[in-house]
Amino acid sequence: MSKINIKDWINSAEKELKEKKLEELFWETPEGIKVKPLYTEDDIKQLNHEIGLPGLPPYTRGPRATMYANRPWTIRQYAGFSTAEESNKFYKEGLKNGVMGLSVAFDLATHRGYDSDHQRVVADVGNAGVAIDSVEDMNKLFDGIPLEKMSVSMTMNGAVIPVLACFIASGLNQGCPIEKLTGTIQNDILKEFMVRNTFIFPPEPSMRIVADIIEFTSKKMPKFNSISISGYHMQEAGANQVQELAYTLADGKEYLEAALKRGLDIDDFAPRLSFFWSIGMNFFMEIAKMRAARFMWSEIVKKFNPKNSRSLALRTHCQTSGVSLMEQDAYNNIVRTTVEAMAAVLGGTQSLHTNSFDEALALPTTFSARIARNTQLILSEETGITNVIDPLAGSYYLESLTSSMVVEANKLISEIDDVGGMVKAIEMGIPKMRIEESSAKRQAKVDSEEQIIVGVNKYKPTQKQDINILSIDNDKVRKKQISALNELKKSRDNKIVDEYIEKISEVARGNGNLLEICVEAAKNFCTVGEMTGAMEKVFGRHTLSSKTISGVYGKNVKSNEKISSVNTHIQNFIDRKGRRPRMLVVKMGQDGHDRGAKLIATAFADLGFDIDVGPLFQTPDEAAKQAIENDVHIIGVSTLAAGHKTLVPLLIKALKNNDADGIKVICGGVIPPQDYSDLYKLGVSKVFGPGTNIPEAAIEIMDIL
Amino acid sequence: MKLQDYLRFRRIKNKTFAKLLNISPVSLSRYISGERFPEKKILIKIHNLSEGLVSPNDFCLQDDKNYDVNESQKIELKKFHQHILSGSRKHLGKVITLIESSREKDQITSEKLLELFKGNDKSIRIGITGVPGVGKSTFIESFGMKLIRKGFKVAVLAVDPSSRFSGGSILGDKTRMEKLSVNKNAFIRPSPSSGHLGGVAKRTSESILCLEEAGFNIIFVETMGVGQAETEVYDMVDIFLVLLLPAGGDELQGIKKGIIEMADLIIVNKADGELKKSAEITQREYKNASHITNKSRINEDIGVMICSSLNQSGFENVWKYILKFIDIRKKNNAFINERNLQKINRMWGLVDLKVKGFVKNLSSRKFVQELLKNVKINNLSMYRAVKMISNYIIKK
Repeated sequence: MSKINIKDWINSAEKELKEKKLEELFWETPEGIKVKPLYTEDDIKQLNHEIGLPGLPPYTRGPRATMYANRPWTIRQYAGFSTAEESNKFYKEGLKNGVMGLSVAFDLATHRGYDSDHQRVVADVGNAGVAIDSVEDMNKLFDGIPLEKMSVSMTMNGAVIPVLACFIASGLNQGCPIEKLTGTIQNDILKEFMVRNTFIFPPEPSMRIVADIIEFTSKKMPKFNSISISGYHMQEAGANQVQELAYTLADGKEYLEAALKRGLDIDDFAPRLSFFWSIGMNFFMEIAKMRAARFMWSEIVKKFNPKNSRSLALRTHCQTSGVSLMEQDAYNNIVRTTVEAMAAVLGGTQSLHTNSFDEALALPTTFSARIARNTQLILSEETGITNVIDPLAGSYYLESLTSSMVVEANKLISEIDDVGGMVKAIEMGIPKMRIEESSAKRQAKVDSEEQIIVGVNKYKPTQKQDINILSIDNDKVRKKQISALNELKKSRDNKIVDEYIEKISEVARGNGNLLEICVEAAKNFCTVGEMTGAMEKVFGRHTLSSKTISGVYGKNVKSNEKISSVNTHIQNFIDRKGRRPRMLVVKMGQDGHDRGAKLIATAFADLGFDIDVGPLFQTPDEAAKQAIENDVHIIGVSTLAAGHKTLVPLLIKALKNNDADGIKVICGGVIPPQDYSDLYKLGVSKVFGPGTNIPEAAIEIMDIL
Repeated sequence: MKLQDYLRFRRIKNKTFAKLLNISPVSLSRYISGERFPEKKILIKIHNLSEGLVSPNDFCLQDDKNYDVNESQKIELKKFHQHILSGSRKHLGKVITLIESSREKDQITSEKLLELFKGNDKSIRIGITGVPGVGKSTFIESFGMKLIRKGFKVAVLAVDPSSRFSGGSILGDKTRMEKLSVNKNAFIRPSPSSGHLGGVAKRTSESILCLEEAGFNIIFVETMGVGQAETEVYDMVDIFLVLLLPAGGDELQGIKKGIIEMADLIIVNKADGELKKSAEITQREYKNASHITNKSRINEDIGVMICSSLNQSGFENVWKYILKFIDIRKKNNAFINERNLQKINRMWGLVDLKVKGFVKNLSSRKFVQELLKNVKINNLSMYRAVKMISNYIIKK
């Protein structure tokens, strides 16, 4: 074999390029990693990670020795359909058709620890997931599904104690011994403070709760994953892959320390920690991220001197990216999800959720859920991908990229270490700010068509296709939940309930284990809201004080006719009205996903609007009050979780009641197209879906004003 | 100024003035009504007698029609005023918009409205400053809620910076005042710093009057603590609080020295958890430091207190200090004297604004553009141009 010489290639490449320069083929990723057009063996001579072998430390090639060659990943579809009965039906349908594990989505009221009859959750009950008020709902949820055999993953962080308590109580009801319960509870509160905002208590008691759960499960539920350290929501909030990787591992480190402080042995709980990644369209980067994560995690855990090598192995669940789904030309999403799923599989995930193509519009239908499921089945059973373990190992490009990811992520982790760990960094708002910057940067690139999204900013469809989607009668669900709650409160022994509530507060004040006492409380029919309330009395409810960044979008958006047209519009507006257009951006209800709202706020301010930002979790009356006091021209309602059908009418009514219907209302976010006409009838001036070009939207808004 | 207005203003009878001019009262009334135009000699005499307030132009040019209100407008304004008195949020929101507006029409409307206000001295106007991150908004949130529980009505005015590039702004204060913002006894209005000439901050004192008219008796004015807005805010409040972080010296604080010297009360914020110790150290340091410098406006050492929004501690002491401060200032009349002085300063401030506005508008005038062109190509000396423009302004 003749020795290769890179110069030979450069010569012939330059010949092909003619006038173009070779440097023009270099690409800089959003993370600032320089990607060359060609990689050779020179690029893997000096790596910052160890490749190794699967099933052996440092586990870069996978946590199991045989990986998919022996058993493919678990197909685990995340779902929750407003009521326990509906969700139960969906789970059974899935289990019949190839799904291997359950993944429960809870509604927003449950996430925030409110019972369905609480006044602040009028629009949230049954939205974005299943409403769970007590162990009885949990019993209905798993009716006919033996928890002894079924692994259940629960996305729960805020009301994690009461919900896990109800789950355990329900398992015990079925006759399943507690040690046989398998599954995962997300229980990752740090990222809630960073991006998702479905927290309840302040950071300090929240970290104590995490430790309580790790302690309880490590002692009594050896097959249960006590925490799923999630980068998913970071990427959804706009983080780039390096940020997702670094901040998630830094979170993990913080949890390790919290559990160790509790006096646990590292080997008692580290093997039960799991991870959760988002897999977006940046194909090779995602694979590199997953491999880098496994290497880096083993390095992190190694410092705590575990004796069991399983403590070093990073196991992960993956979900295809939700933000990569577009409302425009929605069938394209099937293809996106397929590519993302393939990256997750080549990255060596242990379980996978594939999104349904209609999720940029609404919750999935039976049809779209089936396609999503089949995407995984096809990959697993038709392609032969599973036959070889970690097939991309040794690839010049991939290993080099993995190595770069390790270096870049370590830089961010040291930044966190320097301020004293993740809790401190979160208090200072560092990760939140960095992620918001990435998000604004990306949007600016999409708006100026530097980053292409097919069907959105290029190759736009000429015709709109109608897509059948699922709609939920939130009011009906709520009424049903409330009547069940009333029934429960009549039939249970309320004296015992009161005693348990008092006991929970007592444990919260002291050092006992909150999960332990709440399991007893759940068995005795204390509701999720009551258990949360008992803790809230001691811990208080956390409020978020967040700053909105400015300038990043403006700096990254290329000026074009659209931008200058926005400028002219604004100048005309000032001449006419004596001030800039002023918009209040609100999030109403219990949905804490504020990426969209933040992005709109910062981008519109950079385009020259005066932007008021409302607090999270507002009621329509509160939003109206703020709009009136600030005398805004327009209210922009950001909505993702189907709350718009209840909340927007209430907002418009509140404005009318205050004689302020001169204030225009627009909506943006995940809104099913068939709801548009209802919203317009109500008096909403304009509805914007995901993937809206912001300067275009600004011009449309100015035309309304 | 019109001759009629001048005579009314100086309370001079037509007869007396006619005598001074050596003309008959009938001729004078003809001049006033515009039936006749005075001859040159008379014009000069009037100009001199009126200290230049009544110039020949005033006889030639039409009245400033915009500034007069007709009967129906008067009724509208009265209604508007009634709404404000009854505490209508909508009208309060609107009137602040009018005050901040760059449109002349809105300015005039807001001025006419403000003229109707009765005003009172029952309120306490509290200025709050401190560097970004010191926790001004959370301080106001906790302190304000405490005062509401005591039965007060609390209003917050805040100025957020406008971007120098886009002119837009993020007005995020309510996210940090979650409880206060939804309380029916509170009113929070953040304003962008750009907008009206020279900055909205200059108009904040007018907004204060509106809030007081609507029955708010505690008015917080929040400012950034890094720029020049502080002196402006100092000149519109009764007591000025400076918030500090639990950290050493002014330099570490990033706060300008002059601002500390303006403080009536220094508050070391965020005195909780691990920071409590360092807050107490900071408190001691500033207590010692303020010994050396001047006494406070109530002739005592300047108060230095610690406070925690997280633990809800320290607020009672702050409130007691404020009450004592106001009480002493009221007893020796300093309170009312200061407010009167502030009013006069504000008047000059508005004069300043008007002049600046006038000058700014000049640049669009044809003759000014012609001047500029000539100055650029050295056809005309800069100084000559200055002379021409200032002459024009003086005549105006």
